[in-house]
Amino acid sequence: MISQVFILSSKGDHLIYKDFRGEAGKDAVNKFYEMVTALTGGQPPVVMKHKELHFVHIRQGGLYWVATTKADASPFTIIEFLNRLTALVKDYCGCLSEKSVQMNFALIYELLDEVVDFGYIQTTSTDILKNFIQTEAVSSKPFSLFDLSNVGLFGADTQQNKVAPSAAATRPIVSSQGEQGGKNEIFVDVIERMSVVIGANGVLMKADIEGEIRVKCYMPSCSEMRIGLNEEFSIGKSQLSVSLPPPSLLSGYGAAVRVDECSFHQAVRLDEFDTYRILKVCPSQGEQTVMQYQLCDDLPTAPPFRLFPSIERDSGGRLLMYLKLRCDLPPKSAAINVSITIPVPKGSLRLSQELSSPDQSAELQPKNKAVHWEIPRFPGGAQLSALFKLEVSGLSAASLQEVGPVSLNFELPKYTSTGLQIRFLRLSPIQPGPSQRWVRYVTHSDSYTIRI
Amino acid sequence: MKWRKKYFSACFYLFLSLVPLQENRQFGSKMTDSKYFTTTKKGEIFELKAELNSDKKEKKKEAVKKVIASMTVGKDVSALFPDVVNCMQTDNLELKKLVYLYLMNYAKSQPDMAIMAVNTFVKDCEDPNPLIRALAVRTMGCIRVDKITEYLCEPLRKCLKDEDPYVRKTAAVCVAKLHDINAQLVEDQGFLDTLKDLISDSNPMVVANAVAALSEIAESHPNSNLLDLNPQSINKLLTALNECTEWGQIFILDCLANYTPRDDRESQSICERVTPRLSHANSAVVLSAVKVLMKFMEMLPKDLDYYGTLLKKLAPPLVTLLSAEPELQYVALRNINLIVQKRPEILKHEMKVFFVKYNDPIYVKLEKLDIMIRLASQANIAQVLAELKEYATEVDVDFVRKAVRAIGRCAIKVEQSAERCVSTLLDLIQTKVNYVVQEAIVVIKDIFRKYPNKYESVIATLCENLDSLDEPEARAAMIWIVGEYAERIDNADELLESFLEGFHDESTQVQLQLLTAIVKLFLKKPTETQELVQQVLSLATQDSDNPDLRDRGYIYWRLLSTDPVAAKEVVLAEKPLISEETDLIEPTLLEELICHIGTLASVYHKPPSAFVEGSRGVMHKRLPARTGSGEGTECPDVGNAAGGSAPEAAPSIIPSQGDLLGDLLNLDLPAVLCNILIMSKLNSSLLSPQLGGDIGGSPAMGAGFGAAPTVMPASLNAPVGGGLGDLFDLGGGVGMPMGAYIPPKTVWLPAMKAKGLEISGTFARRAGVIQMELVLTNKAMSVMTDFAIQFNRNSFGLAPAGPLQVLTPLGPNQTIEVSLPLSTVGPVMKMDPLNNLQVAVKNNIDVFYFSCQYPISMLFVEDGKMERQVFLATWKDIPNDNESQFQIQDCHLNSEAASNKLQGSNIFTIAKRTVEGQDMLYMSIKLSNGIWVLAELKVQAGNPNYTISLKCRAPEVSQCVFQCYEAVLKN
Repeated sequence: MISQVFILSSKGDHLIYKDFRGEAGKDAVNKFYEMVTALTGGQPPVVMKHKELHFVHIRQGGLYWVATTKADASPFTIIEFLNRLTALVKDYCGCLSEKSVQMNFALIYELLDEVVDFGYIQTTSTDILKNFIQTEAVSSKPFSLFDLSNVGLFGADTQQNKVAPSAAATRPIVSSQGEQGGKNEIFVDVIERMSVVIGANGVLMKADIEGEIRVKCYMPSCSEMRIGLNEEFSIGKSQLSVSLPPPSLLSGYGAAVRVDECSFHQAVRLDEFDTYRILKVCPSQGEQTVMQYQLCDDLPTAPPFRLFPSIERDSGGRLLMYLKLRCDLPPKSAAINVSITIPVPKGSLRLSQELSSPDQSAELQPKNKAVHWEIPRFPGGAQLSALFKLEVSGLSAASLQEVGPVSLNFELPKYTSTGLQIRFLRLSPIQPGPSQRWVRYVTHSDSYTIRI
Repeated sequence: MKWRKKYFSACFYLFLSLVPLQENRQFGSKMTDSKYFTTTKKGEIFELKAELNSDKKEKKKEAVKKVIASMTVGKDVSALFPDVVNCMQTDNLELKKLVYLYLMNYAKSQPDMAIMAVNTFVKDCEDPNPLIRALAVRTMGCIRVDKITEYLCEPLRKCLKDEDPYVRKTAAVCVAKLHDINAQLVEDQGFLDTLKDLISDSNPMVVANAVAALSEIAESHPNSNLLDLNPQSINKLLTALNECTEWGQIFILDCLANYTPRDDRESQSICERVTPRLSHANSAVVLSAVKVLMKFMEMLPKDLDYYGTLLKKLAPPLVTLLSAEPELQYVALRNINLIVQKRPEILKHEMKVFFVKYNDPIYVKLEKLDIMIRLASQANIAQVLAELKEYATEVDVDFVRKAVRAIGRCAIKVEQSAERCVSTLLDLIQTKVNYVVQEAIVVIKDIFRKYPNKYESVIATLCENLDSLDEPEARAAMIWIVGEYAERIDNADELLESFLEGFHDESTQVQLQLLTAIVKLFLKKPTETQELVQQVLSLATQDSDNPDLRDRGYIYWRLLSTDPVAAKEVVLAEKPLISEETDLIEPTLLEELICHIGTLASVYHKPPSAFVEGSRGVMHKRLPARTGSGEGTECPDVGNAAGGSAPEAAPSIIPSQGDLLGDLLNLDLPAVLCNILIMSKLNSSLLSPQLGGDIGGSPAMGAGFGAAPTVMPASLNAPVGGGLGDLFDLGGGVGMPMGAYIPPKTVWLPAMKAKGLEISGTFARRAGVIQMELVLTNKAMSVMTDFAIQFNRNSFGLAPAGPLQVLTPLGPNQTIEVSLPLSTVGPVMKMDPLNNLQVAVKNNIDVFYFSCQYPISMLFVEDGKMERQVFLATWKDIPNDNESQFQIQDCHLNSEAASNKLQGSNIFTIAKRTVEGQDMLYMSIKLSNGIWVLAELKVQAGNPNYTISLKCRAPEVSQCVFQCYEAVLKN
């Protein structure tokens, strides 16, 4: 049972405060801010306790979203609820920011009133809520498709009329219907997160992918959407019994795509899934995750990056690190925003570097005992190298052990590591007027570690 | 969600169809709400007042918004109450909602004004628009003003039967609201019955809210049986489960978890219907389902196929939780930690998912590490060790420390890996990273304990790092190692001497360890170290004001001067094994926590009663016992309430050996052993009056109790030193010759410590009733009244069966004798010593605390006579390890008289055998909690020394039982 819900800015300003049960005072808000800012890194921030009151909070959009309770409530419920609440606010207000929350406080109060009653969560579905919500959203930033200044930076091979900027999906769902004349759009994201551990000997020790298909729908009249996945899509461990029969009806072209486990949104109907790999969704307005999947330890392709390090001490008492990094993506793909962190021995003083191309950069961060190497764009099949010379005070044989493991952060746009693709997106009934359907693919590094 | 932000920065949607782009019109220059947050100017209230009374609807709305904005940031706008309420009568729903929002906030502070709004509420409850009806009933419930509630009843009754489900579900919650304000009214008005009817409503949302409301109301009436869970209603709930929203499913699952199925078949069928919830996308639904399954699984027979299937089904959802946001991951890991302790088999193949990621927050990393160790087994140890070694070179200090500690725990848990662990630890010591070295030494000490005489070759390496140790725990560990292996370390005396220089600056832990280590060294190499041992003994006894240290010093001193052979036996005694698992949660607590999976209790790892106020949540939940459906194959209850036979009940009384060992490990084991051994081995003359005097007379003694009672010898633990007399004083005592033994009264609470109230007393068992006989003396100048008594939790659940009967005020210098009957159904917690009882007595002046020890004989029940055959079988059945032997000296009774005397205290002689002039008496005792103690008493004519052997499934009680024998026979 939720006792209060409040939203604070990162500076502790009260943006929204709602008391549902009248069992705790408003001073809880300041107490929370005091406690959360006093937390040290090691303390779990998830559940905090002050006298009889328990705080559960998340941070989204730079804001604190907090719920309090006095009972032995479920933190899972509360965290899930807060996540949904942020999603709702995002759906209704367009984006999450201090400004948008401030501008739409009346709407958010109205939402909260419908979503929670006496601390019991009622519903978080936009479909149901749209019957009750009266207040119109106010958008913080006028949206224009002409605001395409960032198009073409990396997407040289794409044409403008085939690309919408990310900002297209950050507008309120409701406003699009009213006076805006209804802009019928559907955005579909296939997002994968990759965790990889590569051992010092180059052996792949662990490789997991977590993926999801997210739909953001701006169509008020869409009753059914059919999402076609790869025909050769299978679920279950390869040697174990496959929970679905192999799709024999499907013709055998295209690479097989396999995941270990799959879960679907409540609203997804799977009657055509077994035979045709089609998800039937009745999308609510707003954003929702229709499918989540996981793949463990059995990537269909090689991991995207390999590192060939050689680390030694030179005669002048410096530490030499020669790193060759190879990108094993297909030549048409590329990784962007690659950032590599190499832990170095404590007492590292200065860094001199030789990098293989001018757009790369590297710096020593003595506070974190690490060297950061940034590569803005890294095409598939390419190999880059860097030579770092470190002056380390008190360099010893044991210092070499302090180097590593190397961790990488990157994005792989237009690429899914499982190979999952969306064949088609059909809407029914046929939408009156022009409708637009957008799909994007992206793989992120979650935790990509290479040991040395 | 770092990645999310980034991904919006750089990725683009690919256009799927080739519909031409359309220009999107800019949003108009609409007014934004942020202007409401501009700072208050003087006279703003007046301005708002004027705007609120404006004729224009838009202007009114804007004004109310401004008011609410001020309210949010904490400004007081209650002065506008009448003006805002005036805006209430409107057909604009948006405006109405805003006004209601204001009302909910301020009605409490302006109850009289709130009445003004009542008419509109009542009218709104009749509105043709269901949104308005629901809104009105919802808001009325939130106005926590008593006067309003009377007006609420009629509209609420109508709304509960409304045709629109939206109104009904709002009304259902409103009943809970009303109950919170005025519970009696809800019962009188019959709302509870209406609410019960709503459980069968056609709309699942209404059902869910009704269940939630009833569950909450039921919590404040524990015995009301409001929810009336029976197979039929459970069936209804299970049906609603499939149709509900995710949040409704949580209410229903949580409600199901409170049900106890009648048998394993029902349990299985509920499990079957709940398992589909495990694949729900909402983790709260998953966890609530896990809770139900974990609870009901308890009732399934383990050999059932379905049991295995269920185990397999539980793993994937738990694994999935680990791919959620870090906040959820953390909560999930805390729960998995419990589940792994209860049923390790569920996740035994999933070790890999608990490997840490470099970007996990530190609190997630630490939890994962903990679970990794719990899951470590011979099958996966190589993999685990390789990971741990990687972790030990990471940057974060806390994490590295825990990783090093984890390596040690692996060595202790999986014997085959010990060697590899030790060599890994040595590698880590070579890095010379200070905190790594210190942690490694602490764990190596434990490895030495577990595998004696195996890895001592590494001692030399450890000694090299002696100087770098600056943490007490590491220093204490190193000193322990030096002392323990003094005979193999040539310069052990030098090493220990070097520590001795700064003796007084060390922490207590190190001081105690140093004292013991030097005594060990002396016993091993007496010739060279005499000076050293004298030095440390005098430092400990004369120059220290720490009672623990001083007492241990005295004991060693006397031991060494009286009987060096005994000292050797005591100090260098073989050490008991250390337990494999550490940090295990105590079983009864674990069971309770399993019943609270997915709640805050499972995150804090504390029972809800520890952090939830008032009546809510005080019910202790327990796992159900397994009962067969067909024939009545009874299975032992997990708890102690069922009062089964001895073997089952034992574990709950003496909760976990692990705990005890854990305690002892932190201290020095030989010293504790020595305390116990002194009691049993040396005769009472050895504990000379001087020792008694010393200890009783030392003023710091009392203060020492709280600090570390475990180190104190059992008898010294009595509050006033009078305890010594209890056990060792041969004369005195008012025991009746043939009746139950009653120890003489001793002073439990001296007047000095209790503002003039002196309490002395004893315990007796009369006609099957345990009584605490108290003498209260008022040595103060004023009258004492309002006496009350309470016990702390204790080993046998003793609790007052009634209030303390001191009816008349106690005048100065008056004395009153009171007899307080006791029951044995109170809360149980193992005490040390076992028969220790902590008591709080209150009077009009203050609350006073004291502790006393009761003779365990008063727990011996009247039906403790075992059948011969049963006795014989039980004696054989109890392992020999549980047998303890004691000597009773200077007892001049013959076997017949002894038998009679013992019978008076419910110690029953079952058989007697005479072998070569020696009488062997076989006796049985049953304790109030069902523990049986079997005894064999050897009496030889003409020899005043008896030998007694005690066998019991809970050997911890033997010492106390022996004390009773001695006390009974000698009185």
